[in-house]
Amino acid sequence: MSENKTEVPYGTLDLLILKTLETIGPMHGYRIARRIEQVAENLLRLNQGSIYPALIRLEQQGWIRTQWGISETKRKVKFYSLTKAGSKQLSVEVANWERATALVARFLEAES
Amino acid sequence: MNLRSAVARLLALFRKGNLDRELEDEVRAHLELAERDAIARGLTPEEARQAARRSFGGIEQMKEDHRDHRSVRWMENLLRDFRYGMASLARDPGFATVTIGLLALGIGANTAMFSIVDAVLLKPLPFPEPERMVRVWEAPPHSLPNNTTTLTFLDWKRQDTIFEALSVERPTRAAVGTGGDPERLSGKLVSADYFKVFGVKPRIGRTFAPGEDQPGAAPVVVLSYSFWQTRFGGDPDVLKRDLALDGEPHRIIGVLPAGSFDRDEAGFWKPLIFTPDQLNRIQHVLAVVGRLRSGVSLEQARAKMSMLRASLAGVMPSWKKDWGFAVEPFAQRLVGDTLRRSIYLAFGAVLMVLLIACANVANLVLAKGATRRKEMALRAALGASRGRLIGQLLTESLVLCLLGGAAGVAVAYLLLHAAAPLVAASLPFTADLSLDLRVLGFAAAAAMAVLILAGLFPSWRTSFSKLSSSLNQAARGSSGSSAAVRRTIVIGEVAASVVLICGAALLFKSLAKLQQVDAGVRIDHVITMSADLPSTAYPAPESAARFYEAVVQRLRAVPGVEQASVSQTLPLQGVGWGEGMSLPGVTKGFNVGLKLVDPWYFGTLQIPLESGRGIEDRDRAGAPPVVVINQELARHLSSTLGIANPVGRTVGIDVPGYGPIPESVVNVQIVGVIRSERTGALHAPQGRAAYMPLTQVPQQDIKLVVRTESEPLAVMSGIREAVRQVDPHLPLGDVRTMEQVKERSMLWAKQPTWVVGAFAGVAALLAALGLYGVLAHAVTQQRREIGIRMALGARPGDVLSYVLRSAFSMLIVGLAVGLAGAFALTRVLKSLLFKVSALDPVALSVACGLMTLVGILAAWVPASRAARVDPMTVLRDEG
Repeated sequence: MSENKTEVPYGTLDLLILKTLETIGPMHGYRIARRIEQVAENLLRLNQGSIYPALIRLEQQGWIRTQWGISETKRKVKFYSLTKAGSKQLSVEVANWERATALVARFLEAES
Repeated sequence: MNLRSAVARLLALFRKGNLDRELEDEVRAHLELAERDAIARGLTPEEARQAARRSFGGIEQMKEDHRDHRSVRWMENLLRDFRYGMASLARDPGFATVTIGLLALGIGANTAMFSIVDAVLLKPLPFPEPERMVRVWEAPPHSLPNNTTTLTFLDWKRQDTIFEALSVERPTRAAVGTGGDPERLSGKLVSADYFKVFGVKPRIGRTFAPGEDQPGAAPVVVLSYSFWQTRFGGDPDVLKRDLALDGEPHRIIGVLPAGSFDRDEAGFWKPLIFTPDQLNRIQHVLAVVGRLRSGVSLEQARAKMSMLRASLAGVMPSWKKDWGFAVEPFAQRLVGDTLRRSIYLAFGAVLMVLLIACANVANLVLAKGATRRKEMALRAALGASRGRLIGQLLTESLVLCLLGGAAGVAVAYLLLHAAAPLVAASLPFTADLSLDLRVLGFAAAAAMAVLILAGLFPSWRTSFSKLSSSLNQAARGSSGSSAAVRRTIVIGEVAASVVLICGAALLFKSLAKLQQVDAGVRIDHVITMSADLPSTAYPAPESAARFYEAVVQRLRAVPGVEQASVSQTLPLQGVGWGEGMSLPGVTKGFNVGLKLVDPWYFGTLQIPLESGRGIEDRDRAGAPPVVVINQELARHLSSTLGIANPVGRTVGIDVPGYGPIPESVVNVQIVGVIRSERTGALHAPQGRAAYMPLTQVPQQDIKLVVRTESEPLAVMSGIREAVRQVDPHLPLGDVRTMEQVKERSMLWAKQPTWVVGAFAGVAALLAALGLYGVLAHAVTQQRREIGIRMALGARPGDVLSYVLRSAFSMLIVGLAVGLAGAFALTRVLKSLLFKVSALDPVALSVACGLMTLVGILAAWVPASRAARVDPMTVLRDEG
């Protein structure tokens, strides 16, 4: 494990999951976790298990929905996909994120 | 949290098992997929599994996280504690049965009592806009309101700016024959407006139309629902049938809805028609109910009625010049003072029982808590917060209270069903005893109150244990402070019981005094019944007089009958409002109770003659009118008018009429003085009474009094047959022995006495149970100490007296506190006590003695168990 991996920034896991589901479409939990790791290209230290509490929360908010399907190992698993409310929420979160990073960036520039 | 996720979270509570299983499946699939990929990357299966686990992270931690996210944590805890509470109750069924039983008893009795309080005192009357319902009276100054006369009622009736509806109300009886023997049933004579006053719509048919209470209208009758059910089997075609009242057919025009009117004594209602010769301002026989026009306040109605009274000054008899008109809320006279006080008293007593039951439960929970201190300390050591521990213990109490409350509702249901027939006659007809939402709400509130009283404190105490002391302490010597608290609770229980027992003892002593009052008449082997001679068959006074004579002759011929007589009223049942008596030359008259009796009345009831003669066969209609007076009246005549020997004097007396014949003043000669019988209630001072021959003043509403040689009820069939021979259509009502008549006259005193007595008994039992529990616990805890004492030479008797002394010390303090409470509280009994002071020393000592006896009995069992402790066994076991 390399030391320069970072934890998932606080509150961004929801955003990462929603974005992943928007880009690829319906998939099961393991695929979501792997996809996040791949995109992060080993920059991120993700406990794969931590996506499940996030998934149930997103489902309860009505932003993603689940369907039962069969995994590559022939097991019954849940497939997650984005709902209409979910894609709306995603654009809100993206906008929030961009505003936040822009704000932090401006402070950092001003410091230097 | 938005609504949607809140709902989802709540739902998640109930799908906990499912959700956990689904998560489990997902995790397994995840790990399999990860392993497969790792193997594809070239790792060995073992390495692959480890790698998959590593990148997944902590599984258990994730699961906790998952639960936190998806659900409401505190509710999940609550549910878990709830299940845990159930399980811990199931593990200790003895504790569970006793506590739930105690709570069911306490909550059940209170709920049943509350349903009576609610129905009688709290709930609004079960009629639309009951605040507009009134009673209207004539009001003599400084006295009870009075009935009114026909003409005055018609004057009121014309005040249609005040009253929307106004009706007379007069009880009546009629022989009703719907197949089989005729029966005398109660009904009411009312005006056409009557049901408008109550705002009651008929269930089928119609109620009276305007004009149906006018002369010449066809005879019609309205039935109560229960009358329709019992007499006509709920026949839907009943409206096509007639009901014969005293042989006269009445067309049935409607049936009332089920409810309040079924609890009224009356089963049928028919219009009261004023015949022209009844129109006067002399006979005060009409009670009046009315409904105010909407928007008219009671004050406005009163003001307008006084104006009316002033305008009528010219037509009112001069002796009524000081009388006014009174308008009062309908509800006001529905519940008498005695009933109200009795109900409050019983409710107070039953609340006391609930408190004692609570104390017992608290004690049990505390005792159980003492044995769980280690468990609590361990849980605290493992990181459970104090709040969490209290929460857990409270939830366990909640389980107890919910189960106790539910069982209590069942107990209340049973109690109400058992008690309703016994108390119904004492309650107003508007009181509907049922377990409705209000009553269930009360039961829930009681259960919550119990939770707070019996759960909060013990939870707080049990959770408040120091880790080190609890874990180190071996479970032997009783932990001092907890034992002290439990002893205090028991003292409180004893004190509360003493208050109740003192109250009950006073009431019982008063009842005994009441029972000892000499009624002045023969009570045993006397049977009474009532009859009502219908105007159709007995239109003239002479026909009634013939009946009295004939019926007595027939009755005397019945085997087993010693003596028979006819009278207008029975002893102990009162003599009405009283009639005016005056002496010639003396302007100021006075009231006497007038009784109309036949020549055999005094003999049948064995009322001895003091001087002169009694009423004799020769005192018939047409013969000079005579009167026999009682000792009270003789005393009054001698003390206020100086008449030492009243026999031979002539007095004027108001005598009632017969049917349409109005009352009149008759001059009569006093022929004798009898020793006083109790004409009215036993607790009231004996009033002045005058007896006139029934044949000289015949009445339609009469009583038959028969003295028998043996068991009176056994002669009843012969008596019925004898009456049937005289008049085959005359039904007999109110068949009661004189003993029953006496019992009924004491009902007002008996009911609260037995209710308080029963509650006091329960309270004493509960207090004894509490005492027993504490002592038994202490003995178990102190086995070792007792063993050592015995090993050092204490004899079983010493141990016995040691435990009993400890019980006695609690009892003494409880008795002292309880007596102080009794001194403060028995005052509320004053109005219900007869010839007994509220601080009667005998009753109070008996109460204390009883409590002590019960307490010693309760202590005996654990004390004798302590005395049987075998020192060798104990010391070997725990040494």
